[in-house]
Amino acid sequence: MMEIFEEAASGITNRYITDWVNSGKKVIGYTCSFLPPEIFHAAGILPYRLRGITTESMEISDAYYGPYVCTFPKCLLQLAGEKKLSFLSGAVISTGCDAMRRLDECWRKTGEDYPGSIPDFFHYFDVPHKTDPHAIQWFENEIRKLIRKIETDYHVNITEENLKQSISLYNHGRMLLWEIEKQRSLKDAKISGTDAFSIAVAGTVMPREAFNDALEQLLPDLSRQKSNPANGNRRIMVAGSINDDIELIRLIENAGSTVVADNICFGIRSESDQVDMDDEPISALTRHYLSNSVCPRMFGAYRQRFDLLKAKIERAGVEGIILQNIRFCDLHGSENGLFERDFEKMGIPCLRLEREYGPLTETGRMKMRIEAFLERMA
Amino acid sequence: MRPEVYQYNFDWMLWRTLEAASKVADGYDKEYRRMLPYIPYFRGIVEPFINLGDPGIAFFKLIDKYLKNIVSAHEQGKKIVMSTFCFSPTIFYAMDIVPVTLEVLTTLGSVMWKRGATEYMDFCVELGFTETSCSSQRGCLGAYLAGLGEEIDMLVINTAGICDTNANAFAFAKTFMDKPFYSLNYPASLTDPEANQYHRDDFKALIRFLEDQTGKKLDQDRLGKILEEVARQEAIVGEMEELQRLIPNPLPVTYNFLIYGGRFFFSGMPEYTGILEEMVKVVRQNAEKARSGISSGKEKLRAFMFYIDHYALNLQLWDFFDKHDISHIGSILSRSFKDDSPYVKGMEDVAYHIDATNLDTMIDSIAMINSRMPMVRSIRGPYDRPNMWLEESLALAKMYKADCLIYNGTPGCRNTWSNVKLIARDMEKAGYPTHIMYGDAFDDRVESWEATAARLDEFFTVRGLL
Repeated sequence: MMEIFEEAASGITNRYITDWVNSGKKVIGYTCSFLPPEIFHAAGILPYRLRGITTESMEISDAYYGPYVCTFPKCLLQLAGEKKLSFLSGAVISTGCDAMRRLDECWRKTGEDYPGSIPDFFHYFDVPHKTDPHAIQWFENEIRKLIRKIETDYHVNITEENLKQSISLYNHGRMLLWEIEKQRSLKDAKISGTDAFSIAVAGTVMPREAFNDALEQLLPDLSRQKSNPANGNRRIMVAGSINDDIELIRLIENAGSTVVADNICFGIRSESDQVDMDDEPISALTRHYLSNSVCPRMFGAYRQRFDLLKAKIERAGVEGIILQNIRFCDLHGSENGLFERDFEKMGIPCLRLEREYGPLTETGRMKMRIEAFLERMA
Repeated sequence: MRPEVYQYNFDWMLWRTLEAASKVADGYDKEYRRMLPYIPYFRGIVEPFINLGDPGIAFFKLIDKYLKNIVSAHEQGKKIVMSTFCFSPTIFYAMDIVPVTLEVLTTLGSVMWKRGATEYMDFCVELGFTETSCSSQRGCLGAYLAGLGEEIDMLVINTAGICDTNANAFAFAKTFMDKPFYSLNYPASLTDPEANQYHRDDFKALIRFLEDQTGKKLDQDRLGKILEEVARQEAIVGEMEELQRLIPNPLPVTYNFLIYGGRFFFSGMPEYTGILEEMVKVVRQNAEKARSGISSGKEKLRAFMFYIDHYALNLQLWDFFDKHDISHIGSILSRSFKDDSPYVKGMEDVAYHIDATNLDTMIDSIAMINSRMPMVRSIRGPYDRPNMWLEESLALAKMYKADCLIYNGTPGCRNTWSNVKLIARDMEKAGYPTHIMYGDAFDDRVESWEATAARLDEFFTVRGLL
């Protein structure tokens, strides 16, 4: 069963996307976890969380982005320029961070120079950086604008009923993911951190119905499975910058640890990660996706994020934290400094690890640092 | 940080330095000349400002006052707010709050001290803040995080949605110092009704925050007077910036620094109006005589900095321009976009209006002023949308008859480094030779000023501009 998830998580595309596109249906890529994929699903469109893995060079993206910029959006742009994202019929660029929001312009200009590298539907989605009532109103307006644009451009009707069904389906998926999270955090975990992370990543690029079905088949198998004794492995949490590369988690585990929790925007969030089904759907999506101040882009909400990490540490019995950030990601990089200060004070060892996004070109260096960190914990 | 740097408070050192500078011109000229050899580094700032005459001397005195207000704020029962250069201090002055503006204090350190503010920048990194963050905040911020400044009572910014690294620096400081924090947050669009309503609502919430922090209600009369003063100041600046369109440009090269520096420090304070009144007299005289404001009186080239300037020791960028007979016709920091400024013609949507009729109109006005501050105005949305960075830069380049365009920033500026290659390409297509500077406006360890100057020289030579 795990092969399904691993395959989906390991490449830019997968068999589900191929089948989806071959059947004449549309796929829209999006860049940030603050965007509700339920909207696309309600329109009969496959939401696809944009990924930059498998990038082999930056020769296209370096012509548009400057040098002091995070490599994640650069990898996305490179893949777009190489037409490896040509299965997309649309893309939505969110204001996740400055480098990511400028993917809007960089991709449009790449589209002018490399015909066919930009999808027809291209939308800029503005996301507030706080949760005040007037910011909630602004975000709701943005969601409504996006819905109108999808309806107009794709000639579809996103009804309240459709949205409710999509929310219900996604809630169910999140609930199943939480079951996986519980299995990975057991004293003798029944699933490795690499596999749990693969599942979470796969959830962002697979049709949600297929993803839920596969998870429902996997979960009973997992609970029947014999526990995997920890073998003295250190229990690690990975947090920080965006990561969708399961090889990073595998690298950490192969160094002699088990990743029993994570707090990464491709990963599994929390038990309360459910959209309110009783509320009017757009309003419910608005509040859910904005009020989770899980990312340091939400300025001034450090304490909420610290509490979230603390709860994960306590629940999963975490013994050490790897706080990674992509170079030039100041938001996570700086917050990692604060996490290090506060968790070290609590006696929880922390490793701050700056890295580049993309193929693990620095595997040797990172492996050595991780091993040294695990030795320190021992 | 070196132990000896801990020995002196950052704000006191700045204040004492500027206090001394403000008194330099009070004595006889002979005394002043005899004193200069004793300040071998600082004379690089003192001399050009004293040579500017009354405006330069008054500028020193006003910065002295600004700094004295900081170090004595708590003695006077006032609250101190840590804020950012693109937040108009008007509302703080109206509520009797003393601003500590990180970037302008970093700039003071950079231009006055041989070592700049670099030790404080590095101290931020010692505390866990990223070295890749913008140096403009890190300088002053490091000093305050080290406890080398008067205690901060609250933090207020307006860069969420504009500049991540800026907002992130203040968010880090908020957590580190455990102080109350308010962040205005801007949408990608500037002029549509939704954005305007949002600006208004957000600013009203900010006023409630400031009232809570100070325990005082916003004084309507005081705000009205300050806004009227801002209007007077902007009218004078507008006149100077209209005369700046002349060939040759009659503004002395450093005037644009005084104009925007003054706005960031003292917007709404009557003393700033006095400085501007002195400056405009000089500009009018030069204009009447068709004389360039450059020291030689000749203008060979007009350069428009389409982002920020370079604040190496002794303001060497301005000195370089002056020595090469290059007119500095402004940067993104220069123009405020008040509705009666002549350059606003054709860009009326972007402009703000000051209306001191009642509290509501005043709050609208001040919210509009803040939403039109540099950066906040034009790098919020995609750079090629209406009213944004490209359109504004090209309009100003054309209006002010620029011969070339130059980008300078800091490596920490994730926002502009993500699209500067695109805008440079568009500017070249529009016929403007465009140069991208790769140094750091506040930290010449990234690229020495000498290397930066050599690259500027190369640009002017290779493009046949000089």
